[in-house]
Amino acid sequence: MPLLTPLIGSQMVDLGSALLLLTCFAIVAQRRLSSCVDLFALQSVFLALTAALVAFLTGIHHIYIAAALTIVIKAVVIPRILKRVIERLNVKRELQMNVNVPTGLLICGALVILAFFITQPIIPLGFLLTRDSLAIALAIILIGFFMMIARKKAVTQVIGFLVMENGLFLGATAAAYGMPLIVELGVFFDVLVGVLIIGIYSHRMQDTFDSVDTSKLTTLKE
Amino acid sequence: MSWPLALLVAAPVMAGLGSLLVQQRRAIEVLQCALAGTLLAAAALVAGQVIAAGEVSVGDFLQADALSAWLDLIIGFVGSSGTFYAVGYMGEEMDRGHLSLRRYSQFFCLFDLYLSAMLLGVNQENIAIMWIAIEGSTLWAALLIGFDRSKAALEAGWKYIILSAVGIALALFGTILVYYSSEHVLGVSSEALRWSRLYRVAGELDPAAIKVAFIFALIGYGTKAGVAPMHTWLPDAHAESPTPMSAMLSANMLTVAVYAILRFKAVTDRTVGPEFAGKLIVGLALLSLAVSAIFLLVQRDYKRLFAYSSIEHIGIALLGFGVGGLGVFGGAWHLMNHALAKSTAFYGAGLVFLRYNHKSLDRVTGLLRQMPVAGTAILVAGVALAGMPPFGLFTSEVLIAIGAYRAKPEVTYVFLALLALAFVTLLYQVLRMTLGAPGEAGTALGRQCRIFTSAAVGINIVALGTIGLHVPPGLEVLLASIVKIFGSGMEGPR
Repeated sequence: MPLLTPLIGSQMVDLGSALLLLTCFAIVAQRRLSSCVDLFALQSVFLALTAALVAFLTGIHHIYIAAALTIVIKAVVIPRILKRVIERLNVKRELQMNVNVPTGLLICGALVILAFFITQPIIPLGFLLTRDSLAIALAIILIGFFMMIARKKAVTQVIGFLVMENGLFLGATAAAYGMPLIVELGVFFDVLVGVLIIGIYSHRMQDTFDSVDTSKLTTLKE
Repeated sequence: MSWPLALLVAAPVMAGLGSLLVQQRRAIEVLQCALAGTLLAAAALVAGQVIAAGEVSVGDFLQADALSAWLDLIIGFVGSSGTFYAVGYMGEEMDRGHLSLRRYSQFFCLFDLYLSAMLLGVNQENIAIMWIAIEGSTLWAALLIGFDRSKAALEAGWKYIILSAVGIALALFGTILVYYSSEHVLGVSSEALRWSRLYRVAGELDPAAIKVAFIFALIGYGTKAGVAPMHTWLPDAHAESPTPMSAMLSANMLTVAVYAILRFKAVTDRTVGPEFAGKLIVGLALLSLAVSAIFLLVQRDYKRLFAYSSIEHIGIALLGFGVGGLGVFGGAWHLMNHALAKSTAFYGAGLVFLRYNHKSLDRVTGLLRQMPVAGTAILVAGVALAGMPPFGLFTSEVLIAIGAYRAKPEVTYVFLALLALAFVTLLYQVLRMTLGAPGEAGTALGRQCRIFTSAAVGINIVALGTIGLHVPPGLEVLLASIVKIFGSGMEGPR
C-alpha cells in the first residue's frame, strides 16, 4: 500500500487538474452569462479540492487555508457579486462573439498543446506528485487569456480573468506546493479588490452606455 | 531599523485615509502638503542612508538597496511635486463645481494609496510581495484613470484594467516559476523569493525554468511599462485620467514596472548570462521606439503626444539596461530625468486643459505669452524630452548610444535614426505650442490653483536644471552600485 500511494495520489491530482481544464472548455462553449458564473464557481470547487488533496498528500498545512479561502472567495463571494451585476443588466445571453464557439474550442485545444510544449523542458524539475499539473495550469491561464479576447461582454471578460487566476493558483500549488501563506493571502486580497473594481466599472458602463458590451467602447482610436 | 524608510511607505497611507476621514477641504490641503514634504524628506534620507550603508531595512518587512533607493528618490520627488500639483488642480476643479467634496477626498485617498503601493513595491526584497504591491498600485490606478466618469475615461479605464490584469497575471506566473526553481536550492520558504538570496544562488538555478520565467515577467511587467506591442492602453489612460494622475502614471508607474523587469533580469543574467535577457529587452525597446516615433507624428491631442513620448523614453531606458555596462548607468539616469521632465510636461498640459477645456494640439499656440507657467513648463520639459542639452536626458541618451555601440553597433544605428525622428516631431510640436501669438482666451485659473501648480512646476524645473549638467556625487555612488548589480552586460568582461 505505501508503495502505491504516491502513484494513486499523483493520478488523483492529475484528475483534479483535468477536471479544471474541462470546466474551462465548458465555459468557452457557454453563451448564458449566469451559467458561465456557475461553471466558474464549479471550477473553483475543483481547484480547492485538488489543493486540499495536495495538502493531504504532502502534509503541508498552509495549503488547506488557501483551499478554504478559494471556496469562500472564488466559489461563493465572487460568483455572488457577478450574479448581482448580471441581474442589473438587460442581457442574459451573449449572442455575438469575436470568435464563435466551435472555432473557440479548437483554438483552446491548440492552446493546451502550446502549454505542454512550453512547459516540457521545465517539467522534470518538479515534484513527482504534481509536476504534470504545471502544463495544465499554463493551459488554463492561456484559455482565460483567450476568453478575454474572444468575448465582448464585460462580465465574461471578468470570468476570463478569474479563470486565469485559477490557473495561476493551480500553477503555484502544482509547481511549488503553494506560495508562502502571506503571498497567497495578498493574491486573494488583490483578486477580490480587482473584481470589486471591475464590478464598479461595469455598473458605470451600464449607466453611461446603457450596455456592458465592450465593443461599444470605440471612441479612443488612432 | 530605518525610520525614514518606514515613514516613506506609511505616510501616504495615513495621509490618504486621513483625507477620506476629515472630509474638509482646508484640512485635506494641509494633510496633503504635509505629505508632500514628508515624501521628499524621507526619500532623501533613505537615499542618504543607502549611500552611507549600502542597504537599509525595516525588520523583515522592508529592504532597500541602491536600486530601491533610486526608485525611492524618483517616486518620492515626483510624488511630492505631484501632490502639490494635485492640490492646485483638483481644487480648481472643485471651485468650478465639477467635483463634490466627497469625490475630492476620494481622489486624494486613492492617489495616496497608489503612491504607497508603489513605494511598498520597490522597497521589498520578496518578489511575490513586490508583485502584490504592484498589482495593488494597478488597481488604485484603474479607479483613478476612470475618475472623470466620462465615456472616454470609462473606456480608457476598462482597457487599462483588462490589459494590465492580463499582464500582471503573466508576471505572477513568472514569479511562480522563479520560486519553482529556487525552492529546490533554498528550500520551501519565503527565503526562496528574496532577491539577495536569489542573486547568490543564481548559478545553481535551473536555466530552462529561469528563461521561461523571465519571458513571462518581461511580457507581464512590460505590459504595465507600456512596452510595444502591449502599449495600447497607455495613450488612452494618459489622455483621459485627471492630469495629476497622468503625470504620476508616466513618471512613477512605468518606472516601477521597468524596475520589476530589472530585478528579474539581474537574476536571469546570473543564471544564463546577459545575452538572453539583453537581446529580448533590446528587441522590445527598439520596437517601442519605432512605434512611438511613428505615432508621435500623427497626434492631434497634446496629452497623447506626451503619452507616446513616454513609450519612447521607456524604450530608450530599457535599451540601455538591455545592452548593459555603460547603458545601465545611462538607463538609470534616463529614468530619473524622464520622470522629472515628463511630469513637468503633464503639469503644463493640465493647466492648458483647465484653461481651454479641450486637448486639441492644433488649437494651442502662444502659451508662453498667455500662460507663462504652463508655457515654461511645456517648453523646458519639451526641450529636455527631445534630448537637448543642458538636460540630463541628453547625457543619458549619449551614454546609452555609446553603450549600445560597444555591445551591438547595428542596434545603435537604428536607435539613433528613431531618436532623430522623435526629436524632430516633439520639438516642432512643443515650439509651436509655446511660441507665437495666443489663439483663444479660455477661462482664467483661480489664484490658489496658480500658486500650487507653479510651486510644483518650479520644484521640478529646478531639480531638472540642477542635475542636468552633472551627476551629484551622492547620486553617483548610487549609480555605481546599480551598475554593479547588473555587471558589464552584453559588452562582456573587459
